[in-house]
Amino acid sequence: MERYWEIEKVNLKYNIPLHILVSVLLLLVSPLLMGVANLKAQDTAKVLEMYVALIGIVLLPPVFLPEQDRNIRDLVYTKYVNGAVVYLVRILGNGLLLVLLLGVYVGMLAHNGCEFPVGKFFLGTLAEMLFMGGLGLFFYGLCDHLVIGYMAPVVYYITAVGSADKFLKMFYPFSMVRDSYGEKVWLAAGAAVLIGTGVWCRCRGRNC
Amino acid sequence: MLGHLFVKECKQTAKSLIYWLIVLILVFDFSSQLGDMEIDRKPEPGQEDYGSRISNDPELIMKSTLGELMEEYNRESYTTYPIGFMKTVTLDQEDDRRIGEILEEATGIRSREEAEKVIEAWYTAQSEAMNRNGKREESMAMGPMEALQAEPSRNLTYERFGELMDEADEILGGGSDYSKEYRENSAREPMTYEEALEEYDVLTEKDRLTGGYARLFSDYMVIFLGILPVFLAVTRGLRDRRAMMQELIYTRECSSFTIMASRYLSMVGMLTVPVLVLSLLPLSKCMSYAQTAGIQTDLLAFVKYIAGWQLPTIMMVTAVGMFLTELTDTAVAVLVQGAWWFVTIFASQGRIGGGNYGWNLVPRHNTEWNWQGFHDGFPQLLANRIFYAAGALILVVLTILVYEQKRKGRFRIHGKILGNRKSKSEV
Repeated sequence: MERYWEIEKVNLKYNIPLHILVSVLLLLVSPLLMGVANLKAQDTAKVLEMYVALIGIVLLPPVFLPEQDRNIRDLVYTKYVNGAVVYLVRILGNGLLLVLLLGVYVGMLAHNGCEFPVGKFFLGTLAEMLFMGGLGLFFYGLCDHLVIGYMAPVVYYITAVGSADKFLKMFYPFSMVRDSYGEKVWLAAGAAVLIGTGVWCRCRGRNC
Repeated sequence: MLGHLFVKECKQTAKSLIYWLIVLILVFDFSSQLGDMEIDRKPEPGQEDYGSRISNDPELIMKSTLGELMEEYNRESYTTYPIGFMKTVTLDQEDDRRIGEILEEATGIRSREEAEKVIEAWYTAQSEAMNRNGKREESMAMGPMEALQAEPSRNLTYERFGELMDEADEILGGGSDYSKEYRENSAREPMTYEEALEEYDVLTEKDRLTGGYARLFSDYMVIFLGILPVFLAVTRGLRDRRAMMQELIYTRECSSFTIMASRYLSMVGMLTVPVLVLSLLPLSKCMSYAQTAGIQTDLLAFVKYIAGWQLPTIMMVTAVGMFLTELTDTAVAVLVQGAWWFVTIFASQGRIGGGNYGWNLVPRHNTEWNWQGFHDGFPQLLANRIFYAAGALILVVLTILVYEQKRKGRFRIHGKILGNRKSKSEV
């Protein structure tokens, strides 16, 4: 356990501070851009699904970044701890950060008099965050390219904004606005598959 | 030297996976939004519906604005655009009471319950009218055909109405549907055959058909072009470092201007090519219809609109990507441009009909009609496009300066982790 904590400490100290800063800034500027007080459930869902969930794209895809250099990657893979375990520890750590940031934000909305089912909205938004982040992680792992890792969830988001659920069907991310939660189950399942496959793609052909 | 490097860079771009992904996304955008585009036919006498247009009738403006106020008051939620971004406002008790008083003075509606009854009665009447006309299916799919209206009080003058709406707008923090600018565009009225014919004549004579569709094409394409070029620019910016070729290129005789300008021009050029190719499809549809209808089209309309409307956006987004990547040696430009795109797109929501271009990076005109709006807003649009094109060139100059400094050994981020590079074995 101590070993995993050491991996996460290094992640928090060297790899993720900039991404945390960007995420916190995104959340901090939100009151300047949109209403965050006294909102009805539908408007609260809009804020969470269309804005707050974007931090999933910021925090999840870069988990492979420290080993972008193949020499470093090869070195890491020769270590006693499996490379996939290192990635999973980072993913778990970043996932917990998402939970923390989302929790604080949802708490702030509730404190500001927004009327919404806290638990449902929290879990629904988290599922969307993990799916968008997982999508980035998967494409980063598949193509070994951070930019593609960002591009995939951005295109997914634009498609959802522009075409609603016409193409995305059960993977439509803004379903809570319509008081529908079935899509969130699909997103959560999709996130698990994408993250798992992304890590596998990253480690394929290596004894990591 | 510039020409030689330009060709080389174009070949590099053509081999890039990111570039082809961008092309695929543009094709997807085009086919999903404009794939089944039909050219508008000439209106015929006796048609059931000729569409609608913005009305200047004060009575209609009052009805329409007050209908909106009544609906939002009943919902206890107001949509505003205080800094160009959609914001949902929910009022505290005192402000809510004052809005209620404004509504009462303007319409005689005394309470939320009364407002709800009026709204229900309106939708019931709409539904019944549609049923009578056999349009039930259409109404289910598209919502009521007419926007909600509220009857103004008998003694309400247009001046007093303006004062009350200004006050409501101030209470809501500005940028609401009750501000002078927006309420005057809020009322719509159905067009007659003559009016529809006149609008069609404008499309076919002043716009020569192709102009209107080139604007619509630009509107859809520019949404994606407001973000996609940054991915290509960042990838290109990081490629040298990932392949550990930076130092080698630094030592070449070629000037920083030539290296950066050739890269920039090649990316902008290569991003414009798929847009030009895609424009051939709506152009061919226009040509085909124009031939049968005897309309004199402008063959170069799409090229002109791509150059004037879309190119400045491509230039700016590419320049942002290049500059930030060169400055930081990271992919931070993706996050910055992503944030800018987000604000831009949501800022233009509700103002996509054309004429209201402002300083938006992604100017919207989501219709082939409204030549008048385009014509009136043209000086604004021109200033907007020149601003972004000039801004892009300034960013390119800054990129060249940063690159020059890096060649001299400054602004260099060392280290394998921050450098985001691949190993020697992969070069």
